Amino acid sequence: MTTVKKVLTGNEAVARGFYEAGGLLASSYPGSPTVELLESVKKYEGVYAEFSVNEKVALEVAIGSSFYGARSMVSMKHVGVNVAMDPLMTFTQTPMNGGFLLVTGDDPGMASSQNEQDNRILGKFANMPILFPGSSQEAKDYAKLAFDLSEEYETPIMLDITSRVCHARGIVTEEPRQEHEPKGFTPDNAKYTMLPPITHARQYAMKERIEALAKYAYDAPVNLLKEVEGSRVLLVASGLVYHNLLELNVPYSIYRPGMVYPLSGDRMKELSEQYDRIIVIEELLPFMENELKLMGISCEGKEWFSFTGELNTENIEEGLFNAGLITDRRLALLEKNDAVSRPPMFCSGCPHRPVFDILKKMKVLVMGDIGCYSMSVLPAFEASHTMISMGATVGITKGMNKVMRMKGNDKPLVSVIGDGTFFHSGMTGFANLLHQMEDSDNMTFIILQNGTTAMTGGQGNGSSGKYDVNDDMHIDIKKMLNTMGIENVQYVDQFDYNLFRDTLKEEVKKKGISVIIATRPCALKFKIKEPNYYVDPKICIGCRSCVKTNCPPIRMKQYPGIDKLKSSIDPNMCVGCSVCAQVCPVGAIKKSLKGEQKEWI
Amino acid sequence: MDLRSIIIAGVGGQGLVLATRIISEAAFKAGLDVKTNDVVGLSQRGGTVWGTVKMAETVHSPNILPGEADIVLGMEPLEALRWSHGLKEGGLVILNTNRVYPTPVLLEKAEYPEEEIEKLKERFRVIEIDAQAEAKASGNIRAANTIILGVLSNFLEIEDAVWLEVLKENVPAKAVEENLVAFRRGREYVRE
Repeated sequence: MTTVKKVLTGNEAVARGFYEAGGLLASSYPGSPTVELLESVKKYEGVYAEFSVNEKVALEVAIGSSFYGARSMVSMKHVGVNVAMDPLMTFTQTPMNGGFLLVTGDDPGMASSQNEQDNRILGKFANMPILFPGSSQEAKDYAKLAFDLSEEYETPIMLDITSRVCHARGIVTEEPRQEHEPKGFTPDNAKYTMLPPITHARQYAMKERIEALAKYAYDAPVNLLKEVEGSRVLLVASGLVYHNLLELNVPYSIYRPGMVYPLSGDRMKELSEQYDRIIVIEELLPFMENELKLMGISCEGKEWFSFTGELNTENIEEGLFNAGLITDRRLALLEKNDAVSRPPMFCSGCPHRPVFDILKKMKVLVMGDIGCYSMSVLPAFEASHTMISMGATVGITKGMNKVMRMKGNDKPLVSVIGDGTFFHSGMTGFANLLHQMEDSDNMTFIILQNGTTAMTGGQGNGSSGKYDVNDDMHIDIKKMLNTMGIENVQYVDQFDYNLFRDTLKEEVKKKGISVIIATRPCALKFKIKEPNYYVDPKICIGCRSCVKTNCPPIRMKQYPGIDKLKSSIDPNMCVGCSVCAQVCPVGAIKKSLKGEQKEWI
Repeated sequence: MDLRSIIIAGVGGQGLVLATRIISEAAFKAGLDVKTNDVVGLSQRGGTVWGTVKMAETVHSPNILPGEADIVLGMEPLEALRWSHGLKEGGLVILNTNRVYPTPVLLEKAEYPEEEIEKLKERFRVIEIDAQAEAKASGNIRAANTIILGVLSNFLEIEDAVWLEVLKENVPAKAVEENLVAFRRGREYVRE
């Protein structure tokens, strides 16, 4: 067999494992840390891959493919699995026709997530075995193994991969693809129609398959025991934590389950008889620790290690020191550096900037949602006031509106949602607005139609076709809402600052449901290439209206011969969107001529 | 080669992922084991981002132990300062002097820490380079990261031929020659 070695990220490695295993269909919804996984699958030939409209649909697409007997994979970030739980909890009862892999990207430390949920809980809840890789090589090997296990034990498999492992590179040995011909779909109610009493039998089938997998776990090659002569202590660690632990080179035996659920009760009991102390080192919840305790095995864990954040080598050393297992601490915990913070911000030319500058000045209550525009909660805008989950703003706005009006509060409510989020799960909220409408309702929805799933790196969405002829999705949101029965819907160009502001002010005064669709595309994906703007410091009055739009190139500056600080624009960063010039009350910001890059010096 | 640990610090959108990939592939082609953290933080949105590369005979974790980094590759001075506390005493800071001002500075809530950045020189070897200006002079302002990789290459035991091969594989076909020129310019910068 010809093999070749490459440096791959964890995401690329899972994609490779899927490919080598003969995977035929992969679906996903983009979300950090697993975005690049599907993007990597797309590079292989002979495979169908799609970013679906949301995680539930992505899972269902993969279910259909698996029902036909094709090896199928669906990937999503940890919170995405919540969206997909409904089909998952029932699908898991079916015997697999084609191997099925669900990849969940967990995010200990929340580098780019709104919560820190530990999806091993969901894997167990759904009666699925859970593989837990800690390096790129493991990620590829486990993804490949998952398809064999899935078909042999008739179970969907969860591959739980943490954000660090997704984004870490390591050397991976690649092997050739082995084609896996789908068996086709033969109707069989006992397998594919999950209604009682069929589901009664399936409860036993799920129990039996987990028991069979626990037997497999006894000496499964992915479950590694690294024995140290004379050690009376056994450390249990999996994923990246295992590799972080190796850095300490401690004189204790280590058990590393590559499959963290189910663990083998027989194996764990044997080990507990060989060792005086068992200490489980794991990020987030005491998952393996609780599994051992359920087996009646006494062990330690969360009394020494944090339940939140990542467990880096220095955190592990600290825990082992506190547990009395090491006497010298070599590593200091990295203190927070007090250097000036650098929060993320809207890009130069970002179409969200004028919208939130206007909302900030209007001082209205704004229900926010998930996307780049989540950054509107940060200074300099602080212009949206709730943030929960994808598409949630629509229902939240309705609920708050209802109780406000019941209690005689007639203040307007504004809601913002991106087009990707609208298609993901905002649409259903809009349908729900039509139920029990009242004269006192006053809700204004701004749909930020940038044609892009921008926060995750510029994937397409339901209205991308408007801006990109290569994109086959071109849903007209106005027509769609009109057809549903929401009549007051209009497209407005937010780069016409005064028009957008005046339209918004007008709509906010109106009772009922108003929808404004802001039409400018993502500036990162669809670059603005206009001549740059510059400040004439002799006209500038230093009012900072432009600075407060928080555009990367704009800052106050000391000009030679002028006492007061005046605004300035870095010509290398300005893309020419014109928003700063439109908010300037004295006309101090001017456009360079085409082909010229002007800066006042 | 003994363990070499590099922290790469910059601003979202500066191309840290590609830089990390190039360094890791060069280490791999030089026969070393290598692990990286590509980017921690929100890429592309102008926030703090950082990554790591570790290379040696065998590498367990991609994470660099606190205070044990050999090199901080600072794509921006404030970010170099932010990650300098991960560096060994007497370690090396390669500092791109091109400043990108963060929101608190733009909003006049905080000063850009010029003095602290200057003081890095008291504890570390600091090589300052205006990578954008050097890139412009070499013919392509977008090759600033390649200039910095050229500087870095002086401190890793990886042959020139390996670097050039990896660069060719990872930059757009039409920009290969410009990037090779930029790399050599960065490499020569330290020898001057």
